[in-house]
Amino acid sequence: MGDAMSTAKCAVRFATVLALAGVAFGAGENRKDLHFKVGKHPAISINNPYGPVVVKAGAPHEVVINAILHSDKVEIDQSQSHNRIDIISHLLQGADQYSGVVEYQVLVPADASLSIHSENGPVHAENLHGDLALEGGNGAMEVLDCGDGHVHVRTLNGPVTISNVRNGHVEVVSMSGDVSLTSVSGPYVAVNSNTGKIEYAGDFGGEGEYSFTSYAGNIEAVAPAYASIDVTARSSQGRVDSDFSLEPKHTPFYAKAGSYFSGTLGKAASSVKLMSFSGKIHLKKRQ
Amino acid sequence: MTCLEFERDLPECVEGVPSPEQQAHLNSCPACSGLLLDLNSIASQAKMLSAAEEPSAAVWNAIEERLRSEGLIRRSEPVYLPVEAKPSFMQRWRAAWLVPVAAALAVVAVVKLYHPTRLNNDDAKQVQQPITSTAPVKNASAKRKPALSHEDQQWLSTVAARPPAQLAKFRSDLDQANAFIEDAQESLQQDPNDVYMQQMLMNAYEQKQMLYELVVDDSSH
Repeated sequence: MGDAMSTAKCAVRFATVLALAGVAFGAGENRKDLHFKVGKHPAISINNPYGPVVVKAGAPHEVVINAILHSDKVEIDQSQSHNRIDIISHLLQGADQYSGVVEYQVLVPADASLSIHSENGPVHAENLHGDLALEGGNGAMEVLDCGDGHVHVRTLNGPVTISNVRNGHVEVVSMSGDVSLTSVSGPYVAVNSNTGKIEYAGDFGGEGEYSFTSYAGNIEAVAPAYASIDVTARSSQGRVDSDFSLEPKHTPFYAKAGSYFSGTLGKAASSVKLMSFSGKIHLKKRQ
Repeated sequence: MTCLEFERDLPECVEGVPSPEQQAHLNSCPACSGLLLDLNSIASQAKMLSAAEEPSAAVWNAIEERLRSEGLIRRSEPVYLPVEAKPSFMQRWRAAWLVPVAAALAVVAVVKLYHPTRLNNDDAKQVQQPITSTAPVKNASAKRKPALSHEDQQWLSTVAARPPAQLAKFRSDLDQANAFIEDAQESLQQDPNDVYMQQMLMNAYEQKQMLYELVVDDSSH
């Protein structure tokens, strides 16, 4: 009996300590839920120096923002003007990369236009059909299952992943972040990288213009045998290879053998330019 | 893993546990392992310093005034710190720790900034040479690093307050953008009608513009 009581007391003490620890641990965090009523094609801007921003399609006329603030050294400034919503994580005195973190989970109408700036945190956008402008320093940028709009991504070092984007006007500029495009097609798809790798896997559809350029990063494009492209690849100092037997065509520049190829495949519906200064270029055939 | 890839993940590596991939690179690259050693040493020294007694407010004010007079920081909100009329000898002595710390930071910055980066990823592996923080690296780097323009220097001064590792990354990115511009310009001098190289030059300028904008945007927080 005495043992049972002692065990029960221990259990109660343990539970109390756990509960207090939980309160203490969570004391620094602060949740905020924001709701906005909007019309068609709302414009939403989020500026978050530290922490992730995840945006997904939600109800047609509502914007819902769930934010977790990691300390009281950061606050959320919000404003709405008709169909435009601005959200800013406002760093207060003494905030740093830990205490300044705000985690955003955002639901927006699928036709919303988004502008997101995140210095360090990752950004994820999914199932949207409006224009997307994503900017960041080091965080990963991910765009998934979007289309019919502009997708503009600018990053210094963060990797960029864009998947399943149809009929998009896609532009990516990166310094050293790797850029990966999978099943991305549209009238204009351009990637401009300095040292980051560029990888494309898709069919170059949409009778579009595809332009991938890098300074020192390698470029690898994987296309199916049925791709319909007019392709030019050239690297001033890197090796250039193609798995395809292309119909040769005239090039408007002088280049030494092995550093370029140019030709057409199928009906040459889309234009593809793969250009690098010192990176390697490889146009691969999908197996 | 190349030096470029390692440098990209360097901020996470400082005072952290390197991943197996990073460790493998550190084992094979004296330059990167030396750099990490220096940064870790500074970080640990800084922690010890923060625990010590603070220098007087007059020291901070003098430093701020000096940085402002040299144009390294811009005038912002006034700083109201109590200024002591005559700092004692002990107080002046305590501020002396700033000198070796500043010197160490300068050495690390030089090593970091002159690290070979303007090469293809694969080529970078071949040119890795063992260097120490005191090695005469300037001559080796002079060929690789384009000179900074007045605008570049101004831009760097606006971000001078950032942490050293971040600042070194900005400088590295700036050097890469400038190298791209310089190489594209050289190619165009040989063939001014090369439409593809014209596009490359425009892309290089676009990268530099983005770098300017993103870094200054971030600094405004």
